[in-house]
Amino acid sequence: MVRKKFSKKEIFIGISCTLFALLILSLYVWHQTESVNLGYDSAELEYRVLQLEKEVEELETVKSSLLTLDRVEDIARDKLKLSEPEEEQIVYKDIEKRH
Amino acid sequence: MKSYHQKKTKKRTYFLAFFFILWMGVLVLRLVQLQVIDHVKLNAEAIQQNRNIKKIEPKRGSIFDRNMTILARSVPRYSVFFHPLENESHSEQWSRTKKIGQTLRLPSSKLSTIRAQINKDAKFIWLARKIEEQKATQVLNMNTNGVYLMEENKRFYPQGKRASHVLGRVNIDEIGVSGIEYKYNTILQGVEGEGLILRDAKRRRYSFETLKPPVNGKDLVLTLDETIQYVAEKELKKAVLESQAEWGVVIISDPSTGDILAMTNYPTYDLNHLPDPPTKLDRNKAVHHTYDPGSTFKIVTLSAALENRSVSFEETFDCTPGYVVYAGNTFWDHERLGILDFPEVFIHSSNVGTIFIGQRVGEENLFRAIKKFGFGQRTGIDLPAEEKGLLNPLERWTKISVASHSIGYEISVTPIQMLQSLNIIANQGVIVPPRTVKKINDTDAEMESVSPMAYKRAISDETSANVRDILLGVVASGTGVTARIPGYTIYGKTGTAQKYDRDEKQYLTTAHIASFAGVVENEGPLFSMIVVIDDPKGDYYGSQVAAPVFREIAKKILRYLCVPPVKKSFDTLIASKAGRHTGE
Repeated sequence: MVRKKFSKKEIFIGISCTLFALLILSLYVWHQTESVNLGYDSAELEYRVLQLEKEVEELETVKSSLLTLDRVEDIARDKLKLSEPEEEQIVYKDIEKRH
Repeated sequence: MKSYHQKKTKKRTYFLAFFFILWMGVLVLRLVQLQVIDHVKLNAEAIQQNRNIKKIEPKRGSIFDRNMTILARSVPRYSVFFHPLENESHSEQWSRTKKIGQTLRLPSSKLSTIRAQINKDAKFIWLARKIEEQKATQVLNMNTNGVYLMEENKRFYPQGKRASHVLGRVNIDEIGVSGIEYKYNTILQGVEGEGLILRDAKRRRYSFETLKPPVNGKDLVLTLDETIQYVAEKELKKAVLESQAEWGVVIISDPSTGDILAMTNYPTYDLNHLPDPPTKLDRNKAVHHTYDPGSTFKIVTLSAALENRSVSFEETFDCTPGYVVYAGNTFWDHERLGILDFPEVFIHSSNVGTIFIGQRVGEENLFRAIKKFGFGQRTGIDLPAEEKGLLNPLERWTKISVASHSIGYEISVTPIQMLQSLNIIANQGVIVPPRTVKKINDTDAEMESVSPMAYKRAISDETSANVRDILLGVVASGTGVTARIPGYTIYGKTGTAQKYDRDEKQYLTTAHIASFAGVVENEGPLFSMIVVIDDPKGDYYGSQVAAPVFREIAKKILRYLCVPPVKKSFDTLIASKAGRHTGE
């Protein structure tokens, strides 16, 4: 059997082409993997933002329910022992500014 | 001549090529099977496995009071549902769902419903709707096959009972069924969107693409003021309980804009814990309930007399007997009032005197005035199912109709209509329709104001000014004196009407509706208010039951609005009026 002998230059070009092709392929695979990973991160962060927004709204609602006037009056009367002022005890100040 | 090795190599090459071609052929056939023959089926399976089209629920708009206090908002909650596996027996399904039911402490009735659904081979069963996150985590940790969680929204009312009849409620699917929630449902609910979720082989979500963005519901800013609403609710509850009445209604408005500042009914209910069935207390009597108004309606007779110049201010009416027989029917005064001049007839709320004046006005003029004041028609308030009341056409009026209508009988009105008639006086004769929504808040745009409807004139400026002066006397020295607050300008009219029994078709002597409608001024009308108390036990006159409620609420609102008393002017006015009547 007669085998064709390749010159060193040909071998070098062949190996270089193979390495280049592998490099391109690796880059492509790396790019795809990174894209998918970024997709995971982005989806997770978007979800987190959404959850935090919802949490803020829920906390605002809870705050509002804790500040209901019935509750505030009960605390003022029962815990702080406050009572409504008599008419003579009320001083109206800066009425024009308020209006 | 080819060598032995060459022959062998050729043979091997053919052999290898044959297998390679065979292998390629098999691959091609498999590809044809996958890409052509089973394409539709496999494509659908792939989409199902890797992609999900998810409906994106829009967020229902929130409802705020005029100071941006949250009155209603949708908060995220979890719902649990069961999707049975293929070829699973009913008993297996039941044993798993029962466990979840016990964890969630579902009532036995709900468990029976679930079991019935399993027996009917249902493929989707709700186990629990809109539960707290803590319970949802418990279910998630149980990791039961076929049991899934879904995120939904639940309507929450942070103020509980506050303004429940105005706000109304939503059903389990967040669709408004009463009040503002129903009337503005299309604006509040928004439009649902669609999203594409891409998942990898491990079912992890790696991409989300919005195909059709959801349109969130718009927020509503109401004309209600939470503090004024609170004061009204508190005082009304106290009055209804003290007088052992059936129910009560208070409406407070800004006459110049028609803005409803407070609207309350008692008994009421907590929107977060609905009674069963909820419809029992659902009716907003302020706009749904009609009643014979009695003496508060004399405002219309008084206006008609002045507008048509049927009576002069100086004329007197003999009310000495305390009753009058008209077309065979006897009408009584609450006491013998003697000879009264025109303003005094209204100041002391004489039925006898008002009937004399009604006669002078005449059927046609009185009917026209009633129509102009908007009775028998809806006020146009932006709340659902408003009643228009009952006003018989002139052709159906009987001989006593003019007398009955003059003193507020034979006609049915809603509390909001009665308040509007007083607002006409406060607005110099102009009708400003009431409204409960001030602004519609679009997050993507600026707030959009809800314009009040076109204004119409009911009576002249001069007539309204004269009516106002007479009504000032009602509070200063007449039947409405219990509504008086020293230092403030208040006018209004009391009303005590016998209730009409629709079955017996007669007025009851033992059941009454007490009311007071009044306006508080501070360089122009500040606010108007009507108080209606149904069937109070013991004291039943409007001056005894309703007017004091008006006074207590008005006092607190004036304090809240920082309106100081002007002692000199008002006390001087009362003194001068009293002096005029006693001849001092």
